[in-house]
Amino acid sequence: MEAVVQEQAMEMVARRRSWRVSLEAFSFMSPAMVLVTLFFFIPVVLLLWISLTNLSSNTFGNPLCVGGMRDFCESLGIRVGRVEFVGVSNYRRLFADRFFPKILGNTLFYVFTTLIFFNVGLALILALLTTHIERRTGFLFRAIWLLPRITPSVIYIMMWKRISADAPYGILNQFLVPLGFEPKAWLKEAPWLFVIITNGFVGASFGMLIFSSAIESIPRDYIMAAKVDGASTLQIIRTIIIPLIKWPLLFVTTYQTLSLLASFEYILLLTNGGPGLYRTEVWSLTAYHRALQTYFGNNQWGYGAAWGFVLVVIGIIFSLIYLRVFRFDELVQEPKIDAL
Amino acid sequence: MWRRRPFWLFIGILVLLFLASACAQQQPQVVERTVVVRETVPVEKTVVVEKTVVVEQTVEVPAGGELVTLVARCKAGSVEQGRCNNLISAVGAANAWLEEQGDNRRIQVKTIQDNKDWGEYKTEFELAFQAGEAPDIIVSGHEHIGDWAPAGMLVDITDMIDEHPEFDDVIDSLWESTKWNGRIWGVPQDAEARPMYFSKPLLKKLGWSDEQVESLRDRVFACEFSWEDMIETATQAVQQGVVEEGNGWWHRPKNGPDFLYYYYAAGGVIQDEQSGDKLIMEKDALLKVYQLLYDASQVRKILSPNLLGTDWPDWHTAVSSAQNVLFWFGGSWNWPEWAANYVADQGGEDYLWENVGFTAIPCLKSGTAKPITLTHPLLYMISSQSEYPDLALLLIAKATTKELNTTYAVESGHLGILKSQADYQPYKAAKFLSEVLPLLEYTTFLPNSPYWSQWSEAYFLGIQSVESGDLTPEEAVDVVIGQLENELGDNVIIR
Repeated sequence: MEAVVQEQAMEMVARRRSWRVSLEAFSFMSPAMVLVTLFFFIPVVLLLWISLTNLSSNTFGNPLCVGGMRDFCESLGIRVGRVEFVGVSNYRRLFADRFFPKILGNTLFYVFTTLIFFNVGLALILALLTTHIERRTGFLFRAIWLLPRITPSVIYIMMWKRISADAPYGILNQFLVPLGFEPKAWLKEAPWLFVIITNGFVGASFGMLIFSSAIESIPRDYIMAAKVDGASTLQIIRTIIIPLIKWPLLFVTTYQTLSLLASFEYILLLTNGGPGLYRTEVWSLTAYHRALQTYFGNNQWGYGAAWGFVLVVIGIIFSLIYLRVFRFDELVQEPKIDAL
Repeated sequence: MWRRRPFWLFIGILVLLFLASACAQQQPQVVERTVVVRETVPVEKTVVVEKTVVVEQTVEVPAGGELVTLVARCKAGSVEQGRCNNLISAVGAANAWLEEQGDNRRIQVKTIQDNKDWGEYKTEFELAFQAGEAPDIIVSGHEHIGDWAPAGMLVDITDMIDEHPEFDDVIDSLWESTKWNGRIWGVPQDAEARPMYFSKPLLKKLGWSDEQVESLRDRVFACEFSWEDMIETATQAVQQGVVEEGNGWWHRPKNGPDFLYYYYAAGGVIQDEQSGDKLIMEKDALLKVYQLLYDASQVRKILSPNLLGTDWPDWHTAVSSAQNVLFWFGGSWNWPEWAANYVADQGGEDYLWENVGFTAIPCLKSGTAKPITLTHPLLYMISSQSEYPDLALLLIAKATTKELNTTYAVESGHLGILKSQADYQPYKAAKFLSEVLPLLEYTTFLPNSPYWSQWSEAYFLGIQSVESGDLTPEEAVDVVIGQLENELGDNVIIR
């Protein structure tokens, strides 16, 4: 009997402890949860709702005041406009758009080319180079590489537009013509090159910083030992550095993929999705164009929201794939020493 | 290391101060004062893009009277500030009228102006409206009525305009652009024409005599020199090296109202009496337009396939010198812009008269075979959130005078909107306006329809794709019709 009581008491203590642990965990997580709820979940729910309405310039009103809510809204003095619930018709229209595959293809091309060649590729090269030269020089070089990131987007793109301006203008033309090249409208001849370079130069700085600090934190003993064993620099990079910075590499790949999926401001300012037929139009830019930017200003917020919501779904799918393929659960596993 | 800390601290503070000063935005200064009887209230109006202009409003409020502040929002380029300035100038006349009527209210105006793109400008009004902060008066393109009137954002002024005799002077045809659903939603503020400009020295270089150059204007009006002839001449100029490939003929470098007159010239109809708000797309006319542009850019190489997307300043620089491009389609308001901003150092307007000619858009023989142009009147519209629509309309009426409108028209290269301006000496004395006025005989308008923006975007998509060579004209027609059907469904009539 006593043993049973003792067992129950221990169980209760264990339960209380488990509760306390959970509560502690939640209290630590709560600031992040509040932020995620406020700035992700609520906007996504609103986005989904708006995408199910015909909200546009000529139906403008409060998108929550549709159907049976109209009278209630009117009684509160809220402007209801002519906005109506239209179900999935915006999605039907989106998938029936003949440029939907092209825009999706452009998006994937833009994201992965920029990611592979710049945001991860060049970032890794820069990190390796700047950590293998004299420390101060490396620091200075990284600081210089950060300049595009701290330059306002509009000014940064204006510089690139002047560099690539149509003949007879353009800094590029001024340099190349004396060398015997034909002056060209570079931005229109090779729009993707400039879209990827402008995004990539800025994007590479993020990975460069993360990788540099990861490389710097590798114990010097490993490198020394490898050198003593006669390993070449390339061998050291391949067999020591890359495996030891695996997690930063995976994190940057994941983060930058999602970031590129949603980014469009440089493309908007540089090519606005052109030239020609949607040549550099990406998904997020289409959502922006539909919802907020047409020449004559008929904003179709409902339809634009449908494009936006599909992008959220694409982003979530990519996140799940990365979590699974890169096995991020191993990164967040409890330390084995504590598990014992 | 420690000794250097103050130095780095100092540098850090400097950087922070620099960033803070860069982030600080200069807010337009608005001076509001409680007005007492017989006091002059100076109002400083800040034009965000250009420069600060001080305009005096004399407001005299009788004892026990009410001072009403009206907010006006105008889009104004460097030469178009009269749109809002005229409202300020009309305050005195409006208040005098109120006094005459024994009305104790008095008006003062607060204006907001900049030169945003139309899309952004329109969005700003819509968002302001939803926030309950719409200006009382907005000056905007007449086609925006198609969105704003059905959405309930504008005051229907049909039954109010009779109270103001000033409106009888407005050119009758311009009222057509203010209508939606048979009702009137705005008052014309300006009008313009979109001419074909040509370079006199380049035509002469091509072998044209002075007489041929000078008579081109009339030959276009008489349809003796057609759109097809223009293309042929530009082709010769490219082939003979008078202009570089792609510089035989330029149109505007962005989407805009101009492209609609191509469709009209090809015989296209966009709205008819039966269609109502629905818009029409005629395949034959569409194909003609795309064929013409494809031929010019991909076959004859007189129109650069890279023209669309060119920045406006580069476009203006290239055409205004009259040394690079043979023919170009522009707007009448470009003339004073070029004189003031692009060729000022070469003689300004005198340089333009010497080197640049203009006429109507030539007739398309394969289409309507008539010269054409397009007018895009801007209107003073009253927001339905305005608490004083009667005062807003009164102010607009007092700004709709030949004196004020002529000052604006001469400065900005826009056409007069009043019948009385035809005989008004300062208007007649403006050489450019007088010479561009005959173009109005061939003018057309955009439709006032809620579906115009989507129609225009799809149509422009086809233009982009044939000029870049991404699609053939036939493919472009298929793509555009598909887009229109998907975007507008039953609200577009394809025929």
